[in-house]
Amino acid sequence: MNQPSFLDRRNFLNWGISGIGATALIDLLRTDGRCADEAVIRHVAPRAKRVIHVCLVGGMSHVDSFDYKPELEKQHGKPLGMNEKPDIFFGKVGLLRKSDWEFKQRGKSGVWLSEMFPNIAKLGDELTVIRSMFTESANHTPALFFENSGSEFNGYPSVGSWLSFGLGSETEDLPAYVVLPDERGGPNGGASNWTSGFLPAQHQGVVFQGGKRPVRDLFPAREIPAGVDADVRSFLAKINASHQERTGEEELLQARIRSYALAARMQLSVPEVSDLSGEPQRLLDAYGFERKETADCARRCLLGRRLLERGVRFVQVFSGGPIAGSPRASWDAHESVKDNHTLEATRIDQPVAALLQDLKQRGMLGDTLVLFTTEFGRTPFAQSEANQIGAGRDHNRYGFSVWMAGAGLKPGFAYGSTDDVGWKAVENPTSWHDFHATVLHLFGIDHERLAFYHNGIKRRLTNVHGEVAHGLFA
Amino acid sequence: MIRVGSFLLVVLVGHNLAAQTPKRQFDTKIAPLLASRCLECHSGPEPKGGLDLSNRERAIAGGENGVSIVARKPDESPLWKRIEADEMPPKHPLPKSEKEMLRKWIAEGAVWGTSTIDPFQFTSDSRGGYDWWSLQPLQEIAPPKVKQTEWLRSDLDNFILHQLERNELTPSQPADPRALVRRLYFDLLGLPPAPEVIDTFVNDPSDAAYDKLVNDLLESPHYGERWGRHWLDVARYGESDGFERNNVRKNIWHYRDWVIKALNDDMPYDEFVRKQLAGDIVENGKDGAAAVGFLVAGVHNTVVGGSKRMKLLARQDELEEVIGAVGQTFLGLTVNCARCHDHKFDPIRMEEYYSMIAAIDGVNHGEREIPRPEIAPLLADASENLKDLNAKLNKTDITARAKILEERKKNAGATPKPDRPQPYVSWEFEGDLKDSIGKLHGKAVGNARVENGALVVDGASFVETGPLDKDLAEKTLEAWVLLDNLEQRGGGCITVQTMNGGVFDAIVFGEREPKRWMAGSNGFVRTKSFAGTEEAKAAAEPVHFAIVYREDGTITGYRNGLQYGSPYKTGFQRFKAGESQMLFGLRHKPANGNHFLTGRILRASLYDRALTPEAVAASAGVESSFISEKVLIASLSEEERQQRADLRAKIDAATKRLAELDAQAKEKVYTVAAGKPGAMRVHIRGSVTDYGDEVAPGAVNAIAGVEGSFGLAKDAADADRRRKLAEWITHESNPLFARVIVNRVWHYHFGTGLVDTPNDLGFNGGRPSHPELIDWLANQLTANDYRLKALHRLIVTSATYRQSSAMNQAAPAKDAGNRLLWRYAPRRIEAEVLRDAMLQVAGVLNPKRGGEGFEDVKIVPNNGTTYYEPFDPEGEAFNRRTVYRFTPRGGRSAVLDSFDCPDPSSAAPRRSVTTTPLQALSLLNNSFVLRMADHFASRVEKEAGKDTVSQVERAWQVSLGRRPNDNEKQLSAELVSKHGLASLCRALFNSNEFVVIQ
Repeated sequence: MNQPSFLDRRNFLNWGISGIGATALIDLLRTDGRCADEAVIRHVAPRAKRVIHVCLVGGMSHVDSFDYKPELEKQHGKPLGMNEKPDIFFGKVGLLRKSDWEFKQRGKSGVWLSEMFPNIAKLGDELTVIRSMFTESANHTPALFFENSGSEFNGYPSVGSWLSFGLGSETEDLPAYVVLPDERGGPNGGASNWTSGFLPAQHQGVVFQGGKRPVRDLFPAREIPAGVDADVRSFLAKINASHQERTGEEELLQARIRSYALAARMQLSVPEVSDLSGEPQRLLDAYGFERKETADCARRCLLGRRLLERGVRFVQVFSGGPIAGSPRASWDAHESVKDNHTLEATRIDQPVAALLQDLKQRGMLGDTLVLFTTEFGRTPFAQSEANQIGAGRDHNRYGFSVWMAGAGLKPGFAYGSTDDVGWKAVENPTSWHDFHATVLHLFGIDHERLAFYHNGIKRRLTNVHGEVAHGLFA
Repeated sequence: MIRVGSFLLVVLVGHNLAAQTPKRQFDTKIAPLLASRCLECHSGPEPKGGLDLSNRERAIAGGENGVSIVARKPDESPLWKRIEADEMPPKHPLPKSEKEMLRKWIAEGAVWGTSTIDPFQFTSDSRGGYDWWSLQPLQEIAPPKVKQTEWLRSDLDNFILHQLERNELTPSQPADPRALVRRLYFDLLGLPPAPEVIDTFVNDPSDAAYDKLVNDLLESPHYGERWGRHWLDVARYGESDGFERNNVRKNIWHYRDWVIKALNDDMPYDEFVRKQLAGDIVENGKDGAAAVGFLVAGVHNTVVGGSKRMKLLARQDELEEVIGAVGQTFLGLTVNCARCHDHKFDPIRMEEYYSMIAAIDGVNHGEREIPRPEIAPLLADASENLKDLNAKLNKTDITARAKILEERKKNAGATPKPDRPQPYVSWEFEGDLKDSIGKLHGKAVGNARVENGALVVDGASFVETGPLDKDLAEKTLEAWVLLDNLEQRGGGCITVQTMNGGVFDAIVFGEREPKRWMAGSNGFVRTKSFAGTEEAKAAAEPVHFAIVYREDGTITGYRNGLQYGSPYKTGFQRFKAGESQMLFGLRHKPANGNHFLTGRILRASLYDRALTPEAVAASAGVESSFISEKVLIASLSEEERQQRADLRAKIDAATKRLAELDAQAKEKVYTVAAGKPGAMRVHIRGSVTDYGDEVAPGAVNAIAGVEGSFGLAKDAADADRRRKLAEWITHESNPLFARVIVNRVWHYHFGTGLVDTPNDLGFNGGRPSHPELIDWLANQLTANDYRLKALHRLIVTSATYRQSSAMNQAAPAKDAGNRLLWRYAPRRIEAEVLRDAMLQVAGVLNPKRGGEGFEDVKIVPNNGTTYYEPFDPEGEAFNRRTVYRFTPRGGRSAVLDSFDCPDPSSAAPRRSVTTTPLQALSLLNNSFVLRMADHFASRVEKEAGKDTVSQVERAWQVSLGRRPNDNEKQLSAELVSKHGLASLCRALFNSNEFVVIQ
């Protein structure tokens, strides 16, 4: 058979990065027989073992945060003076507007960062900023899908699903891919952002909520007297065992039996990991549990760290809820960047900074990849009449910034650049496919080889594109 | 995994390599290598480095760097040197074996074969050619001879047994009757059998009894629901648009119902397919419209960027989505992979892709209103009734009116004359076509002329104005008209329309109902009958007619200042300044057909507001005789007043009834909105700004037996294109058509297809485990008039299907995946079947068939985007089979989701089957499961009484189709006595035996 390695059942020996502790899940996998063969997809030594992805919904302004543009300050109030009709959202091209935040050089590296994120800025020496991102769509949902799955359309597996498919999980007790949505609601596109698409369902993102049932159906939907569950389970184990013995059936039946044992362990491990009461008060304070604005993100960042510690492969923390509605609950600063971004940045700045430090202090940052991304940037010109400097900015798909940290990246480093005013990426333009190829590379995966056959095509996270940005690596 | 490929080798590579001439060797070995490794850059009008390797002369001539191939001297050939150094092909050096082959070829003289190279000629290691197995004509193959003849039940079994014997495997014994019935029920109906059915068969497991059971199940309406669900997976059927907005697609369920009914009716498969491609063309009414729902069942981007490029790109994306579904569903061909370049794996050219796109270019997503034939007579009756009542009212009012007018005469001068309302613009037709505001002058078209203070139109001419200078919302149209005759049908007196006539409102005479006035509108969308009186006078004396359009959708007609029939409520249309104009004598543009009026228009006016009845009367010049309803009623005696009130009430009721029937008269169906296809050109690299040659509608040429050309002109109509496409796909000589469906049906019966990629029989798909069996089945299907039920019968009565699922310890070493079918592969039931089985076993399955789906998601619209939040609604309405669930894209339902129910964002020809802890949690804890366990317990209690042992026995029988053994009985009884019957029911739902078919 042609290219059998992608279509065959994997040879169940090498599973996780560590290659140990995954025997139970191997059983589960046997029933679908479809998981990437590590020997095939691996091509370099991995630098990263796990990811926490802070995903900003709505479009963060790069020229106000991570992309310092002195020329924009000089040009403030002047027209951009372009010939083309830009593909922005509302189509109103006002005059150039300087940043509403002051930029300073940070740390030993001297990387320029603004005061929008005062706490994160203090950790400038840890960040690897990409200032030359661009994307294909200036509409929120397709742009968010693109960021998460490499496709503007729904139905394609997200990065977390691909990593779960490619590398599996390092824990038996928790899902490989956990999603922590903003308390204000899910992003536009909802679950389509963490779908496993055509990959098997076990690779989809599992949403952890706050409260007593962090995971859907973790416990009976209604109160069931103590002891009943244990007895039901024990009964089930017995009749399933005798049934299996009678039929001599291995794979399918044992996988199901095992899944109930694992479910029982999840009932312990999920509440355990979600219970933050054992964390020291000073750490809670550092994350920002005591402040109303930061409490939600603080909880999710700390939970994220705990999940990573226990072997979860990919944790996704959303910043921003539904895109529509008023007042805005996302980074979509059409009216006023100053007002909107101040509000949104305050919600996450302290928690994300605390997370970085926490990871560092625990020695986890070396092999944990931290991603901080947004679906697109915002225009250097105001969204207003042509002769005015309005307070808001429109969507900018031609140039924007994201940052990464940890896992063998060059720290305190800015990669690529936009033009003088921050309108378009000019040096090292980086697409999401490039970004995704780079993330997979950090896991030692060749993005051209991590593929899944679906309806005639070997689908990849990077489609037929993607160049690894080697310049980012230490 | 077994190397299925080795079985195939014989089929695929029938050539004796040793006997090949050098030319033949080139064609079969070197040409495919060059084609797959070099020609992407080194061919075409602008080959890289000027080196064209696709053609003998040009290859020998070399490129910009001179000669590339020196025959017999590889080491002097730059081609070889660069390949040897891994410089070429860039980034993807050739494997050793291929290098060696090339070197040898040059060393032996670089003999060329067919020139120019057709890269599709032969199948190679990296791509399929014209000789690809699935593209060849169907073979008539006799069932192979086998040894263990006693195992056989059908010719089908010979093919299976033959392969087993060749691989020294033995088939399994027949399954025990209990397992077999259960298997058959789940397979054909997607529901568990009742214990009584099982017992009956166990008591008489004869072939005759089995055959009867099969026939009964195939006749069950549940069959269509089960197999319809399979089809909907393939058809990527979803009930929302997907993409950014993901709006609800309310009326697509007609397609789902059509599929279920067609399968239950055993519609021949070729007809089933033709109707899904072109049903709306061959058949009027709902069925045709519903059937082509297939074409538009997929996602639809309703937010398309503003630029022309974005719009073109979105349209091409849409067409690719459709043709991808068409190619994969019916032919197992991934034609969509040839949008930006020739297909990388199958012999499909980019030009052919665009020919296929041209064939469906008339397809758009849309909704149609289809008349319900059963409502039409009721509607006519109601309309007549209203007319009678209006006439009666008219008659009684005439007397009262006369009396009042008599009174008024006596007191002449006492009541001041109301002022004539001021029109926004008016045309007096005194000597010219000028208007009163001086902007909207008329222009005559044809013989229209002004004569004696009137505009004369002759049934072939009209007057039009320039664009309106004002947006119109509420409005009043009026005209004084003298008709040439009362027999004319459909002429317009005064019209406001968009410049091309696509949208209009007009005063129209006699169009739908002879001799009656109506408010004409585009596609009758704002037209209903006023149910007014027949016109008797307008040919003898001028009549004033006015129509008032209110923003709430109310449209009222007035004849000579008096209300004409009954007003009605409908949609409301605005007209934009600069984009709208007025017409006189023409209903709307284009100027043809019955749009013309014959007669004289003495005066016409447009008001930019809705006039009151009084104002209309004043304008009509009948203000002295205008009597408001209030005045009229006041003049009546108590008895007359009562009578009139009764009549009024009857009229109101009749109007309401008419409106109700009117609303039911048509059914909305989400379907193809057929449009006019445009010129289709090859889009170079898929770009929408860089075009190649224009193509005619057509299809792929690589399939033996069918011509890719449709013989259609490049500007053929949509109907012809789709009809031809349907003919081509379903042509009896198209071997892919039957191969794909028999493989698909096999896939659902056995869990894995003979080709394990049911949507792809191309190079990238799986290789057939039993290629001869596919052809044999395909021939059986065509011989049985494409009846799928006959195919099911053939399969499920075979020994292959009826064998046991028991493990054979020796077999997995040779064929772990059971592709050779040494047993029936046990499998977990699908998400929908699991839910349906719980409903059935709980005794609460609502058998209601068809119609709008039940919703277990909350639909949350938010600023144009729609969100779907799953919840668990209770009640009979929700206890229907899952195929009737409203299935929006991204609308995840906990139980279904964790059991691999696919999101309909793309086709799911093969579902993944996973086993996860989340699945276990769902089945243990989900509120639906707990509720079903309670129902199940009540049912058992009702049927088995209070005795625990009887309850236990009944619960096992109902859910698992067997009595528990002693140990199971004891364990169950313990559980029941400790925690109640519902706990046992919950546990049984979770048992392996409940969710696994054996």
